[in-house]
Amino acid sequence: MPYAPEDDEVPNPLRPGLRAETAPEPCAVVIFGASGDLAHRKLVPALYNLAVGGHLPGAFAVVGVAKTGYAHDEFVQDMREAVGKFSRTRPIDPEIWQDFAAGMRYVCGEFDDPDTFARLRNTLEEADRSRATRGNRLFYFATPPSAFPSLLERLKEAGLIRSPLESGFTRVVIEKPFGRDLASARALNRLVLQTFDERQVFRIDHYLGKETVQNLLVFRFGNSIFEPIWNRRYVEHVQITAGEELGIEGRGHYYEEAGVLRDMIQNHVQQLLCLCAMEPPIAYDADGVRDEKLKVLRAVETFDSQERVAADVVLGQYAPGSIAGADVPGYQQEKDVAQGSRTPTFVAARFNVRSWRWDGVPFYVRSGKRMPKRATEIAVHFRRIPHQLFGEGATQPNVLIIRVQPQEGITLRFSAKVPGERYRPRTVSMDFRYGTTFASATPEAYERLLLDAMRGDQTLFTRGDEVEAAWKIAGSILKYTESPAFPRPYLYEAGSWGPRQADQLLARDGRAWRRL
Amino acid sequence: MSDAYGEPISAGGSQHSGELTLSFDQAVDLRRIEAALHAARERGGPAPESVATLNLVAITFNAAQYERACPALEAAGTLHPCRLIALIADALIEHDSLSAAVSVIRSGGAVTMERIVLSATGRAVRHLESAMMGLLRPDLPMVVVWGGRPLGDLLHRVVESADRIVTDSGARPPNYLAETADLLAKGAPIGDLAWARIFPWQSLAADTLDLPNLREHRGNIRNARVVCAGAVGAEGLLLLGWMQSRIKRLEVAIEAQGAPDEDAGVPQGPIPRAAPMGLGHVRLLEFVAPPVTFTLHRESGLLLAEVKGDDDGYVAHRVRLPPELPGSLLALELKILAGRDELYAQSAQQAAKLLRAAKP
Repeated sequence: MPYAPEDDEVPNPLRPGLRAETAPEPCAVVIFGASGDLAHRKLVPALYNLAVGGHLPGAFAVVGVAKTGYAHDEFVQDMREAVGKFSRTRPIDPEIWQDFAAGMRYVCGEFDDPDTFARLRNTLEEADRSRATRGNRLFYFATPPSAFPSLLERLKEAGLIRSPLESGFTRVVIEKPFGRDLASARALNRLVLQTFDERQVFRIDHYLGKETVQNLLVFRFGNSIFEPIWNRRYVEHVQITAGEELGIEGRGHYYEEAGVLRDMIQNHVQQLLCLCAMEPPIAYDADGVRDEKLKVLRAVETFDSQERVAADVVLGQYAPGSIAGADVPGYQQEKDVAQGSRTPTFVAARFNVRSWRWDGVPFYVRSGKRMPKRATEIAVHFRRIPHQLFGEGATQPNVLIIRVQPQEGITLRFSAKVPGERYRPRTVSMDFRYGTTFASATPEAYERLLLDAMRGDQTLFTRGDEVEAAWKIAGSILKYTESPAFPRPYLYEAGSWGPRQADQLLARDGRAWRRL
Repeated sequence: MSDAYGEPISAGGSQHSGELTLSFDQAVDLRRIEAALHAARERGGPAPESVATLNLVAITFNAAQYERACPALEAAGTLHPCRLIALIADALIEHDSLSAAVSVIRSGGAVTMERIVLSATGRAVRHLESAMMGLLRPDLPMVVVWGGRPLGDLLHRVVESADRIVTDSGARPPNYLAETADLLAKGAPIGDLAWARIFPWQSLAADTLDLPNLREHRGNIRNARVVCAGAVGAEGLLLLGWMQSRIKRLEVAIEAQGAPDEDAGVPQGPIPRAAPMGLGHVRLLEFVAPPVTFTLHRESGLLLAEVKGDDDGYVAHRVRLPPELPGSLLALELKILAGRDELYAQSAQQAAKLLRAAKP
């Protein structure tokens, strides 16, 4: 256990029993890639909303770093427009904005130029003096991964990184994709950990910032009636769906490199699988939760032959079609997509979790673009009743559905008697909707995650070994599917739930995808 | 009623014509009330979803008091879906009368509040309590919002039957805090909006002592002083009571200075803001750990923590006070549906000792 200075100190007498959440210490958030899409759509609006909610420390600064040649005022104006367009709370409150914008700084420069970092250092020191940020820094890498090595190297050279043993914190938030395969993820982990201690590294997966994803843990471990049946004895199979109505939205260059396996499965979908399948953690803290997720990832059977991949994985690519009455182009017609591209935009796969709890219970996952609608959910299908008292097939197995987005909530499907007629059962739904039961405005995932990073809470961030274990699984599929010998992805019409081979994947096992 | 909280739907008449009022000659007819509620639910569309997490019972002693409390009850009740049973017990009016007004509020397609306002005057007030008991939704906790002084038989009966009672010591002269402390000492599950009002002060004081260079002073805090706006109030006493309950042998002082903010109402506008500083609200908290003085003070919608004696003096923290919508403090207190906040109980009892010590 590393030495922590606070171990020797008198405990804070005013802290015990307080109901208010701990405020972050004063700090400067440095966004690399501040002129990019993520900063505009998510990060700066999230920080502004934290200011609206009174969650930011008063001593606070946002420093943007990018290649775009903004003057300071242009940067502030650009961010104001972004907040006006993408913020959860609108219109902009002039007084809060004025206070927030007073802490904004901008540094223009290349990420591999030492001069950029010398100027960043001066800017941060100035913020320490004028904004009382006290040397605490949260670096946010909202850049393509190719920039990570030079960012790490230059930050170190410029003396901008303090060890956890020094006063004042230095933390880094790293956006996905964290590597593009196991080897590159390992290399990146090594590189990051040469510069930072694991306690300073926050690998972000914004799905974990969603309220319903966190609620899954409360649902499982805060109720006594579900956990006893959450195992192979009662659960027949699990379906995880992460469907998007959108296409690639002009990000052809990125998507051609990534594809659905890197974009969705290696991170978001596997995280959902972990939270669904994990054992109860010893404590709700960063390592307690992440240790259990890691165990699940280690228990997931890797795909060790082309035959296994061909049998249990279906890849698809969207062809032209129609969504909500509008014609949409196929993937091959999208901007920056190569002619004859083999990049999959859809995957359906069967995962086996080889653990005491789950052995023999298949986890079917599917994710795709240009689906009929946006829908992310986990559906736990329970076993049939042993004796068909009301006639063969009269009752359907129970299904518990955890809807992640949209209409976040939980539905339990069970059999009920149709009134009047003699014992004719029908499946009905019992619904819990997060939005109506708790009518307070739900914060965006990035708000929660940025606040946690400022507070130093890593529970909702992925650890290095977890990322590598996830890549081991996704990589075992990619190893075969990216080989020229592997069949091309099946085409599916935009606006459908993927190629018919995805249906056959389940039909083979006597099952069917839930109709969403 | 703001659109943000959903649309109230009456039990009778058109959708926007207000509540359906039922009058009763003798006892309250619970079946008629339930039928009216059912009608109100149905008017909102076919089989709307109905969610409830608690029975929220508001006890007030005249119609004006209820009207003042109404926006906060509606807002808090919508954040915590509930059956709201408001009792208006006006025994000062001699004429005996008994009536009920019924409506529901929908939000996002679901019924999130069923509201029953029972009004009684004269001797008919004695029927209210039993009527209320008959109208509770089963299995849900009962939280009572007590709008009167912390005294009387009715309160004692409520203490025995409610899972939680929420009062507002800040709305009464501070000496009533001693009555509340007595009830707390007997184990009453009381919550207090005055306590919720000082959360930002407590949080900022604790956060300041968490700053790495100030941690060394944690064990050396000797005295504390609170300044209230206009008059000494319950918030200031609770703040000092809290500090004394946390720090042994702490010497404390409280005084009033200056005037409250001119507009002491709840701020309005599209963006919620911190409430103005009302009469008796905390203006400043100072605590000393020689040679360092920590001063937390309010400046408009901000709380600032300044430190002197450690280096040359600087602003250690600066936080924006949370925005205060109608009902936000109550919603905060409703996060606890049963039992009591032990820290509040200890702080209120300590505050009561301060009151007793101050009496000649």
